[in-house]
Amino acid sequence: MHDRVSVDVEPHPADAKSSQAGSAEAGIRIAGLSHNYWQQGKPILAVKDIDLDIPAHTFVSIVGASGCGKTTLLDILSGLVTPQSGLVTVGGESPQAGRKDCARMFARDALLPWRTAAKNIDFALATRLADRAQRAERIGELLKAVGLDGFQNAYPRQLSQGMRQRVALARSFALRSEFVFLDEPFGALDALTKVALQDLLLKLWEEIRSTVVLVTHDLAEAVALSDRVIVMSSRPGTIVADIDIDLRRPRDVKALQSVARFHELVAELWGRL
Amino acid sequence: MTEKALRNPTSPGFQAPKSAWSGRLALLAGQIGLLAAIMGIWEWAAVAEIVPRAFIGQPSVFIPAFFSGLLNGTYFSATLITMQAVLTAFCIGSFLALFTALVMTAAPPVERLLSPFIDALNALPRVALIPLFIIWFGLGITQKVVSGVSIMYFVLLSATLAGAKSVDPDHLLLARSLGIPRWQVFLQIVVPSAIPSIFAGMKLGMIYTVLGVITAELIAGGRGLGTLVSYYSNTFDTNGVFAVLILLIILTSCLAGLMNAVEKRIGRWRLA
Repeated sequence: MHDRVSVDVEPHPADAKSSQAGSAEAGIRIAGLSHNYWQQGKPILAVKDIDLDIPAHTFVSIVGASGCGKTTLLDILSGLVTPQSGLVTVGGESPQAGRKDCARMFARDALLPWRTAAKNIDFALATRLADRAQRAERIGELLKAVGLDGFQNAYPRQLSQGMRQRVALARSFALRSEFVFLDEPFGALDALTKVALQDLLLKLWEEIRSTVVLVTHDLAEAVALSDRVIVMSSRPGTIVADIDIDLRRPRDVKALQSVARFHELVAELWGRL
Repeated sequence: MTEKALRNPTSPGFQAPKSAWSGRLALLAGQIGLLAAIMGIWEWAAVAEIVPRAFIGQPSVFIPAFFSGLLNGTYFSATLITMQAVLTAFCIGSFLALFTALVMTAAPPVERLLSPFIDALNALPRVALIPLFIIWFGLGITQKVVSGVSIMYFVLLSATLAGAKSVDPDHLLLARSLGIPRWQVFLQIVVPSAIPSIFAGMKLGMIYTVLGVITAELIAGGRGLGTLVSYYSNTFDTNGVFAVLILLIILTSCLAGLMNAVEKRIGRWRLA
């Protein structure tokens, strides 16, 4: 469906000045993490005794019923929430919002309605790359990569839900961050659009091989995309299973539907929930 | 469907449905018909003396009176005088309201400090202050401007504050996760989010400015349109009053239309 684009893997010179960035090779470490949130004056244990090591360049999904604390976990990793107890490091450093080596994608597209598709990507990219011409070039490459060539001047209103989520994907991957945190990015999409965007996500990821943590409640999605799937139980959120996904890469999400091993893994996940 | 066609209604790819035009024509015809019907009933009620003609005037008299007033220059200087006060009050009021909203949004403690006072002033029927304004500022343009400002200021202020609070929390989270500094978040997210409410507030504020200025003229006299209204009603010239009211409706609608045009220009993304 899309042209294969070569996004050069070497960092642009301007990327090198990343501040407060950890070392990508250190991966993500979580040890003894517990976190409460407050509801009507009472503390509720969102996650409890989480121990998790994610080596660099792996694609990990966290699945579980809603309310199992998976979004809390992602918020902690992206530095939006400060953990109450336990040790969390991303690239060897404590998580912090606005770290230049981390990117976060939200469940809803979070596109700014007053900016065009290209300007929305630029909103994020400008925080990492000062050179305007370089930004424009990268935005062009990415819009092409997500199949929105020619839509750079369209406003979010003029785009379908799926197209908007493509822009949001492009915005997240434009940053070429070492760590990417995705919070149910395809939750609101229909089945067909979802598969197309999952393929797109894999394609973008293959280019930069960042460390990805994806939160989802779609088990098939978790299996299709990940190297490892973490299953969490609800209230308090604890890890109940950690399953290696031994499907060969690069993967084609549509083709996976006829692979027996894929269905075995999905079935196994269902059994662990 | 190409992207150009999507964006550009004048491109050959874009086709406005034909029925839209005939639909609009039918609507316009209906509206003119309704207006004619109201005027007809009004005329009939006046001619048949259902209601005394001196009370309600007569469309067949005040509509021609409006046009002759336009042509013979009766309204000309009064319109200039009133519009001068309206535009001055609107500009001053907009500036003050937007400035206050800016400070209050940028510094929430200031908002917490001021909000009970602003609520109290807003609750005060400010038309009742006009006699005081006359004592303080005399009978000239100053008291009219102050009256207009005192009414429109709060309309625009509360609309702008509400707009600044309507920011999508996802956008703020996005900005935080990107490490965008606070002043940039304000300029790039809070201000654009508030623009639709600001325009709604300005449109309403324009109407309220006219209200304030006309009321001040009714009370204080002088040479504006409000004075003309009070002159005609004091001499029991009901048709004269209605003729001026037609002019006021047209003037205020033109100003609101002007605001709409500016909004369309700035808020393209919202209307697309």
